[in-house]
Amino acid sequence: MSALDIIGVRKRYGTVDTLKGIDLSLDSGEFLVLLGPSGCGKSTLLNIIAGLAEPTGGDVRIDDRSVVGVHPKDRDIAMVFQSYALYPNMSVERNIGFGLEMRKVPAAERAEAVKTAAKILQIENLLERRPSELSGGQRQRVAIGRALVRNPQVFLFDEPLSNLDAKLRMEMRTELKRLHQMLGTTVVYVTHDQIEAMTLATRIAVMRNGQIEQLATPAEIYERPTTLYVAGFVGSPSMNMLDAHIADGVARIDSSDVVIPLPYETSAKGRPDQKLVLGIRPESLRLASDGEAPAFEANVEVVELTGPELVISATVGQQRITASLSPKSDIQAGTRRRFALDADALHIFDKETEKRL
Amino acid sequence: MERRSLTATIFIHAFALLLAAVIVAPVIWLFVMSISSTADLTAKPLHWWPETVDLSRYTRLLTAVANTEGAAFVAALFNSLRVAGMATIAALLVAIPSAWAVSRTPTVGWSLYAVIATYMLPPVALAVPLYMALAALGLLNTVYGLALVYLTILAPFTTWLLKSGFDSIPREIESAAMMDGARLDQILRLITLPLAAPVMATAALFAFLLAWDEFFYALLFTSDLRAKTLTVAIADLAGGRVSDYGLIATAGVLAALPPVLIGLFMQRALISGLTQGGVKG
Ligand SMILES: Nc1ncnc2c1ncn2[C@@H]1O[C@H](COP(=O)(O)OP(=O)(O)OP(=O)(O)O)[C@@H](O)[C@H]1O
Ligand SMILES: [Mg+2]
Repeated sequence: MSALDIIGVRKRYGTVDTLKGIDLSLDSGEFLVLLGPSGCGKSTLLNIIAGLAEPTGGDVRIDDRSVVGVHPKDRDIAMVFQSYALYPNMSVERNIGFGLEMRKVPAAERAEAVKTAAKILQIENLLERRPSELSGGQRQRVAIGRALVRNPQVFLFDEPLSNLDAKLRMEMRTELKRLHQMLGTTVVYVTHDQIEAMTLATRIAVMRNGQIEQLATPAEIYERPTTLYVAGFVGSPSMNMLDAHIADGVARIDSSDVVIPLPYETSAKGRPDQKLVLGIRPESLRLASDGEAPAFEANVEVVELTGPELVISATVGQQRITASLSPKSDIQAGTRRRFALDADALHIFDKETEKRL
Repeated sequence: MERRSLTATIFIHAFALLLAAVIVAPVIWLFVMSISSTADLTAKPLHWWPETVDLSRYTRLLTAVANTEGAAFVAALFNSLRVAGMATIAALLVAIPSAWAVSRTPTVGWSLYAVIATYMLPPVALAVPLYMALAALGLLNTVYGLALVYLTILAPFTTWLLKSGFDSIPREIESAAMMDGARLDQILRLITLPLAAPVMATAALFAFLLAWDEFFYALLFTSDLRAKTLTVAIADLAGGRVSDYGLIATAGVLAALPPVLIGLFMQRALISGLTQGGVKG
């Protein structure tokens, strides 16, 4: 059963098209992450779902009921804001219970619900405090608690972790995942952090300039990005993009004599001299053993040990390439080495359309 | 700066003291005058501190016996309280909704600037139209008429002050309350107004002071005990054939008391910091 449908939603601000036709359909219990750079319209879309903004065109359906024009409080949704938006003049307890208070839930029942939510979030000992007396992580929990007690059909999160430091962020990420597994509520979650997206989502919508570039599971986004943009956005270090062209049924990397064999269907469809971009994830490269193919030579320029991996910066012809190897690899800067890759680790894009071939 | 030379420290303290003296000296002199006998005030050379403390002027001014300076002064005191109080309350009642509306709807912000622009006119330019309007309404020489005139001065000013106060309250907090199911009046009553309390108190205090100290319109639009305010009454004291400077000083001290008391009373509300902690760290 679909819990949330977004059908051809558009939004204009003045003369600017902020959303240019968004289509999404979420099953009950899904965790959808809207991933994209700043200004691509993620918050706008979330606000439209929440009812804080109205779409210029299209339809939003929650539980198969159109909610366009419906007041936010009647949409059966709860939202966690990026800035937390707690009520500074109220205790944590009242903050969490405010939604129930406004809906005239009896005090005893309310107190019970607040207690349950506080227990889940481990903030039972903070209920008497004011928001100003809490740390960032605790405020975040209160904000989540406020959404939690309402037991809504859909949870909306707008970059809830972006104000936290790296360590706390990781903890809260795990916590959110645990919470979702426990409650099974449908979630729409906005972030521009690809790690958050990969770890939390059941599906990711990668957005760009008010459009969805790809909507797929995290694994698929990582393994089969459909456009150059998605390929470059997901993964760290980001995917190597080598300019190449088709020559005699193989791909020749520009400004070098390196050739890489293409899968049959690509070379059959490709025009001679067609411009390509070869995407190779840094982690799918390895040092080649003798005679291994496909492989290519590169000048190793910088070797950096990050801890779990050894990040190599090298050049192939005039183009830069990054490889992330096992930390025990025997490799020095200033040498020329051969790197191998698996044929199925090659992502081939058309340079003009930027689409996967 | 952590490390400072001794001379610099002395220098800074000396100047701080000097500044304080310059600010406080007139007030102290006013008070000393009010408790000095006429002989002390007219003595040559001047006595900086009176030989005998003379409180008779305070009793003279605060008497209710009819047809005395005291009766006129007390009537003016109450007139001032009523005019300034009414004008302040009315100004806040007008300013709170309009400031909130302008703060939350940037597209109508120009209207506030249009109103503020009328503020630039000198009072004398408006004196005649206002006089005629009050005359037509039969409100000349009444506290209500004067309060109405003051409202036109106070409302733009308080609206503008409150708008910047509302601007500093994140809209997301109101959005959150909206999603929590609060009606507009609940959002304002339970969240926005409590958060804006410090700036509302500041606006009220300044509005009250502005109305309390106003002289020009009060002089034009009032003529006797029924509506004359303190500023006019004090001017009357100074305008007699023989001016008792001590009496004027006493009236000055008494006139300063109500705003000071109100300021002290509102001090708690003026302390801001209530808005912190709702958003971000
Ligand atoms: N109320 C508004 N009026 C005019 N333009 C707006 C308004 N709200 C958003 N926009 C524009 O719409 C675009 C998308 O904004 P949005 O807030 O959705 O971005 P975002 O993807 O959430 O970015 P971020 O990651 O920075 O939060 C921006 O270019 C912004 O300038
Ligand atoms: Mg945003």
